[in-house]
Amino acid sequence: MEQNTTKSTPGTKRSWDGVPIHSESSKLHPPTSTMAEASESSPNILSMFGTFRDELDQHHDRRERLIKTSRDITALSKKIIFSLQRVRTANTPLPVSIQKETQSRFSQINELFRSTIPDITGLNSRRYLRQLSGGIQEFIEALSFHHYLTHQTLITRDEVAAHLPVEIIVTEEDYAMGLFDLTGELMRFAVTSLSAGAADTQAHEKGSDGGDTEERLNLPRLPPAQAGVVRDLREIRAEFESITVPRRHNNNMFRDYGKKSEVMQNSVEKVERAAYGILVRGSERPAGWKPDLSAGVEMDVY
Amino acid sequence: MIDRAIFESLQAKIDEEAAVRDELHEIVQTLGRKGRSTQATLSRAHSTPAEHLKSVLEDATKEILAQKEEVSRLKSVADKHPFYKYNGLWSRELQNLVSSIELCAWLGGLQEYKSSSSASFLTMEEVGKFLDIPVNLKEEDAFHLTLEEYLLALISMVEELARLAVNSVTLGDFERPTQISNFIKELFSGFQLLNLKNDILRKRSDGIKYSVKKVEDVVYDLSLRNLIPKGKSA
Repeated sequence: MEQNTTKSTPGTKRSWDGVPIHSESSKLHPPTSTMAEASESSPNILSMFGTFRDELDQHHDRRERLIKTSRDITALSKKIIFSLQRVRTANTPLPVSIQKETQSRFSQINELFRSTIPDITGLNSRRYLRQLSGGIQEFIEALSFHHYLTHQTLITRDEVAAHLPVEIIVTEEDYAMGLFDLTGELMRFAVTSLSAGAADTQAHEKGSDGGDTEERLNLPRLPPAQAGVVRDLREIRAEFESITVPRRHNNNMFRDYGKKSEVMQNSVEKVERAAYGILVRGSERPAGWKPDLSAGVEMDVY
Repeated sequence: MIDRAIFESLQAKIDEEAAVRDELHEIVQTLGRKGRSTQATLSRAHSTPAEHLKSVLEDATKEILAQKEEVSRLKSVADKHPFYKYNGLWSRELQNLVSSIELCAWLGGLQEYKSSSSASFLTMEEVGKFLDIPVNLKEEDAFHLTLEEYLLALISMVEELARLAVNSVTLGDFERPTQISNFIKELFSGFQLLNLKNDILRKRSDGIKYSVKKVEDVVYDLSLRNLIPKGKSA
């Protein structure tokens, strides 16, 4: 490049494009003229982005409102679960105090779900599923636990949906994840009720199966109520294990399936070991003794 | 008592959804393959002087039109399902396509779809009209180009233009960096109007300032040595 015009006297002020600047007015001119030229030639960028901003703001507001509601629903659901863990037997009506407490929390949750409806109508019904699904899953956990304690069956997805406003979508994924979490609660419930119920074991043994031989009568057996929970957990585990999520879609659907599945298997195994421990050594343990739930399966829980 | 039907219907739903995903995935893959060849064509612009650009733009337009067909195919399948359920499957490839369209338009292609012949880029509405898809829907649950996708596409275009500013100089074009600089600074000021939260849009738009700086450095280097042609830009 043979351009040597730059070599002028030092100290000459120049604008960005190399034009020497002489006075205040000319200093201001070049940039303003190019800006005007640019905005003439293209759609008005600033006004375009102005509307974009309003739309994005609305989106973020909706999103944040839903995240907050989801957290509130999660907190209430956890409280319901805590109260329900004070119950000792399944398939019986709940104690009145617990029933009252959970009922009022369930209606508060319903209120919260209702409040989200304006934000999740039409196109947005699935847009914010991810924000809301934490709350929905926790709610399903609480509801299915409640359902199990009162009916000793698994709640179906349709039954869950019936407890919610129609606008709330209960996806299969949230339902499945809620059931996985339910197995954790059933584990706690089974282990505590096993240790509480084992006191009746001896009484039960004596009265049952009159026609059996002398020897079998003396063998300890789990009381049917507790045995039912253990059996149900085992069945849930078997059913969950039979489900296939195509590996190529692992990242997009049922994302936590593998992880939750592992936790579930662990819970079931804990209960199986606890049942074994109570059965074999039940009569040896001191009154009021509770198995340790904090430890992993590998540790002896009896 | 555990009702087996619960798990059977769960499995049925999983299979159903997997089949939909497979169908969409196949289309998106084709769209992506064609998209990469569009991008390869457009990247010839980095080594082609402006006066010979015409053939590059013609080739790119042809490939963009081929992609447009995939988009129509995608639309016809996606419209059968809730938009936001599967949107994540194609969002990326659609962004890449829009970014190719914008780059092609900025370089002077796709003239007939611009609001005026001097416009440097296509608005969201113009992109929608070109691709024959709705944009930025608010109520109706149907296939469309979302605002976020459009904005992300503009950001990719800015990054590509920053690279082009450098390569233009190598090709002996000292005028283009100034044009690029003006344009992306304008877009940058637009992006600065947005209140961004911690999401992908925030992360990507944070990168614009580096693109702006890259181009400004080129313009600075050129102006320092008085290499910028006077006529137009002064």
